[in-house]
Amino acid sequence: MTRIQLAATERSPEVDFDLAAGRLSLRGESYPEDAAAFYGPLLQALRGLLADPGQAPLTVEVGLAYFNSSSAKALMNLFMPLEDAAAAGRPVTIRWLYADGDDTIAEAGEDFAADFEHATFELVMEAQV
Amino acid sequence: MSLAETPAPAARRGGLRGSGPMRREDMLDHLGFADVAESGADASGIMAPGALRGAARGRDLDSLTRTLFLRIYPVIAAVVLLTQAGIAWVNYTDQFRLYTDRANLLASLSAAAIARPGWERAPEIFGPQLQALTRDPAFRYAALRDGTGTLVGSAGEPPHGRDWNRVQVSAQVGTAPDTATTQAGSLTVVLSAEELRDNAERQALLALGTSLVLMLAFVATLTRTVRRHVVAPLKRLLVAMRKVEHKHWTTVDLGGAYRPSNEIDAISQAFNSMVEGLRSGDEAKRLLQALEQAHAELARANSQVIESIGYARRIQASVLPERGALAARVDLAVLYEPLHLVGGDYYWLEEVDGLSVIVVADCTGHGVPGAFLTLIVATALDRLLHERGLRSPAAILAGLDAMVRTQLRQDGRGAESDDGLDCGICVWDPAERSLLFAGAGLSLTAIRDGTVAQIRGGRRGLGYPRTGREALPEADTRVPVEPGTTFYLMTDGVTDQMGGPMSGQAGGQAGGASGGRPRLLGQRGVAERLLARAADGLDAQLAGLEQDLAAYRGGQPRRDDMTLVAFRLPELPA
Repeated sequence: MTRIQLAATERSPEVDFDLAAGRLSLRGESYPEDAAAFYGPLLQALRGLLADPGQAPLTVEVGLAYFNSSSAKALMNLFMPLEDAAAAGRPVTIRWLYADGDDTIAEAGEDFAADFEHATFELVMEAQV
Repeated sequence: MSLAETPAPAARRGGLRGSGPMRREDMLDHLGFADVAESGADASGIMAPGALRGAARGRDLDSLTRTLFLRIYPVIAAVVLLTQAGIAWVNYTDQFRLYTDRANLLASLSAAAIARPGWERAPEIFGPQLQALTRDPAFRYAALRDGTGTLVGSAGEPPHGRDWNRVQVSAQVGTAPDTATTQAGSLTVVLSAEELRDNAERQALLALGTSLVLMLAFVATLTRTVRRHVVAPLKRLLVAMRKVEHKHWTTVDLGGAYRPSNEIDAISQAFNSMVEGLRSGDEAKRLLQALEQAHAELARANSQVIESIGYARRIQASVLPERGALAARVDLAVLYEPLHLVGGDYYWLEEVDGLSVIVVADCTGHGVPGAFLTLIVATALDRLLHERGLRSPAAILAGLDAMVRTQLRQDGRGAESDDGLDCGICVWDPAERSLLFAGAGLSLTAIRDGTVAQIRGGRRGLGYPRTGREALPEADTRVPVEPGTTFYLMTDGVTDQMGGPMSGQAGGQAGGASGGRPRLLGQRGVAERLLARAADGLDAQLAGLEQDLAAYRGGQPRRDDMTLVAFRLPELPA
């Protein structure tokens, strides 16, 4: 499996994990009834990718307008192995996208940023179209 | 072909007993349909040895043919007979007139030959003439009379009685003599008309024979035609109708030879399209029924679930505290709105050892899973407060963290649960006038004199399997208690309202952003709305906030459970 693509639903984000290219992306809103069930396969795919010895750069884009606490926890679980990989020398960039003026999401991004030492965590403001 | 499937005629016809209502088979039989062979074999069927026998029994002669025959044939037969009779009559009268003319001619010729003076007494004169008359094949009798009417001579047998089979004429013999005493004689000739009658009889017989032959030809043609062009297709239709009646959607095979001029073909085609219509209608009806059934089952299942959750709501409500539990010491209002009847939000208010304890917790998930977690939290909190006697907010958080983790087996024994909670705890000591706060993923908001202050707790929640990065607050935060301050502990369901730009309420906060994408209201948005109502009583404030939140959401649904506890501490007695 080199690419996981899921369309956005009312309660779950659009997922595009292009594992071969090292580009992972989450966009939309995230409050699935069972966050563990939704994020479990994604976490596994990410772990599988990181288990490969390659040192190819990895970029993760997260642009969520809303996520509930279960999803926050799931994101945390996604971020931890990324930070570990970065600590091991792999170039990892996390781009946290937030809409212009959306302080809540920006602050959440800042909270997450505090957990990263080795990976690059970018807070990216997107002008709303 | 479908006709081959037709069962043999039922043996049940016309029994003395058990003659109940006529069955369809009987009806077919009765109508003369039962024995009709398939149309292809029809022509040969007539010629087959058994066919005549069948016809003799009247079974092959279907009633339609019979009806047509009985209605049409008498007319034709009558017309033929009448025409022939008319012709015969005209012939007969013509012949009769000719005979009469001939008789007159014979009589007058003979009379002229006889009429010589003294013929009355000269048989040698009239004898040969009379003999000559007998040579006519139709001659029957001749009588010669003198002027006085005395029979002078005759030939042949005098006819007896009045017979319409003869032609009788008379002629004057000689002219009347000058003397008045003598009169002219007369010659009467009688000819037989038997030949004419024979002719007429022959003609009548011929007419009769013609109509018999006509009848036979008519019957044969009619039977064959009706059977092939009417009965067989009608039977196909009837068989198809019976199947359709039982919802076997059968159409009639027109044999690829549809003739628009043929009414039965037209009917068959109309029937076929009707069957198509019925078939699709029936299909739609079946689908609709299935849909309605599925809908009813869903509705039943849903109402069962709702009923069950309603029960769960009563249980959850019973573990929540009395809202007036701290009324004697603290001015306090609560907004508690689970998203789905029950939820993962939880609050606790209690007076312990003169201290007012205010706890707000937001467990992961909402609905029933969230509610399960609140029960664990409620039990753990009770033990921490009463068994272990903890009074420090930070200590209570640490205790909750450990107990929840143990309960959910997140402590290394193969954790299946990745659940936990955000929690904020305030302990008010009125004697010391000290307000202690500790939070895990939950902040305390204080509003005073138009300013909003946030006392942030630790960023991590409680519970969850250990990842080594947890940092629970190690000490309580002592919150300055200024007069006129209102404190708020709220779960993220209050601040995480999606909506905004389209509703217009958050225009100022959106920073000029345009577009219709919903956006989170956020801490600041909620704080602004609380600030605007700072002068209201707490209950009015929370009711107003709830309206503001609904207005902000606009058409967007709520995403999470909401809990907000607002409180004001009493002023120092002056």
